[in-house]
Amino acid sequence: MTGQNKEQQTVKTYKGAGLRPRNNPQPGHRRYKWKVIRWSILLFVNFLFFASFYFDIQILEGTLSGSRFLGFHQIDPLAAIQLILASKIIMVNLVIGTLTVCIVYLILGGRSFCSWICPYHWLAEQTEKLHLFLKRKKIIKSHNFDRKIRYYFYVIFLFFAWLTGYTVFETINPVGIISRAIVYGPSFMLLWVFLLLVFEVFYSRRGWCRYFCPMGVSYQLIGMLSFLKVKWDKKKCSNCKRCQSVCMVPSVLTDCVNTGKSEYVDSSLCTRCGMCVDICDDEALGYSFKYLDKLI
Amino acid sequence: MKKDQSKKTISRRAFLKTSTLVATGAAIGLGAVSVPLLKSKDILLRPPGALNEDLFLASCIKCGQCLQVCPPQILKLANISQGFGIGTPYLVPREGACILCSGLPCVLACPTGALDHHLSLGKDAQMGLAVLSGPESCLSPQGINDLIFRLKNYQKNSSSLNNSSELEEILLSLFKRLNGDEKKTFSTRFSLPELSDAVGADLAGKLKGEDLDWLVKFVELSSQAQTPCQICLDECPIKEEQPIQFIAKEGKDNDRSIVLPVVTETCVGCGVCEEKCPTPKASITIVPRLRPEKRSMATRKPEEQS
Repeated sequence: MTGQNKEQQTVKTYKGAGLRPRNNPQPGHRRYKWKVIRWSILLFVNFLFFASFYFDIQILEGTLSGSRFLGFHQIDPLAAIQLILASKIIMVNLVIGTLTVCIVYLILGGRSFCSWICPYHWLAEQTEKLHLFLKRKKIIKSHNFDRKIRYYFYVIFLFFAWLTGYTVFETINPVGIISRAIVYGPSFMLLWVFLLLVFEVFYSRRGWCRYFCPMGVSYQLIGMLSFLKVKWDKKKCSNCKRCQSVCMVPSVLTDCVNTGKSEYVDSSLCTRCGMCVDICDDEALGYSFKYLDKLI
Repeated sequence: MKKDQSKKTISRRAFLKTSTLVATGAAIGLGAVSVPLLKSKDILLRPPGALNEDLFLASCIKCGQCLQVCPPQILKLANISQGFGIGTPYLVPREGACILCSGLPCVLACPTGALDHHLSLGKDAQMGLAVLSGPESCLSPQGINDLIFRLKNYQKNSSSLNNSSELEEILLSLFKRLNGDEKKTFSTRFSLPELSDAVGADLAGKLKGEDLDWLVKFVELSSQAQTPCQICLDECPIKEEQPIQFIAKEGKDNDRSIVLPVVTETCVGCGVCEEKCPTPKASITIVPRLRPEKRSMATRKPEEQS
């Protein structure tokens, strides 16, 4: 059995580790709080890229693969590794920019790039609704792959960069394509992005993000070390499991709500999107800094 | 969701395995086939300081920051039709040439060093080399003044397309070249207070018919008309390096010597000459990446043909 299947079985077996006997909606719980904040930040950052060039306000120049925020270099870690492997040269600015990004995501939590910044993720979130609608109407079936393909692709693309002396993945990277389209106007490569979205709608739910995107993997690797996590409060949880039904990567919550092994969502796959925090009206889930909150 | 789980069987596991294999296999196959195929496309003219093409493709991160800081805004990002380097910067000199601005902001903006940071002066760039690709259409050996040529062309086409920006450009360069007396004649003809850029732009929109005929005659009689076209040198941003020299040669059939622009090894290939060349199809063009050592064929060509 693959890891995912095993985890889904445990979902069935365990009734849950929460201690609250029944669902007890907290007064004043805002169901869309984090979604509104997250989407606003995502759209604002991408608008800032656009405005920095179009209106020449020069705050965030460049695109998501490489940019400059008020003069500070920022380089996408995956692109940087590819460049170094492809050119066999290590450039100082590149290392500085990559370290900046690494530090930022160490603080913010690894895959938070995906749900808080990535424009492809936002598009996919919208088309996902269409996918789920079609699935509900039994027009299509969703096909799942092994999530571990991501890691194979990550290695393959790095190997390609080294072998061909060219950043192969950057050519087909939908994030780079969309980001360039936002700043510099549309290109034919948007067709590729469109195809990916069609694939996601009609064949595999969130296929690119879940099974292929090496960019997500690179942020995941950084995120392993980050302190900002979703915290789960045993005493408040009533085991309704709605958090897992909205989660983009339901398996990350297993260690908390199903088995009760951990107080924090420790998996590096967590994108810190906050959908579980939003849906949990018991308010058992919330953002927290692991280790640090105990000190205070 | 729960129904799905009960249906999970060995065949699903097999599907997962095969799909993983197929997907990875397809990726490897596609990559291996497409890389050499896409790489063998035309060479594009890159911004100043670009590393050699292979290394440039390897180290360009496709962020477009060079494009953002470019003062004349002439850089473009390659699309899929340009082959391999999707998202890499290039320029088309005929549509907008690099003016080698001081400080070379594009080079400074490059976060990866794909535009080499060691380059600090425009005259040291090595983008390509200008080549006299149309010696038979070049105005200089024919002894034609560029403004007269452009004006007559404009007059010919003015009925079909009304493009006053071309006329404006002509007027502005004319103002710069006229001597004192000619300026007076010109301003009295159109009753203008002075010959400024604003006046030129204003006038360009109005000039038609009789006025245009007068202008052509006026330009033909002006003292600057004696000089054949050498706009490629006049507009060159590194003029003092003399990347283009006008060398006189004995004509074959008459006593008048033929003057030809000859590109020297100080040319960096910025493309301003190609952009400004007044002939309908540029007579001088940039060959990207060409360096003086390798250009023996390119420069000999015009001399042989003349």
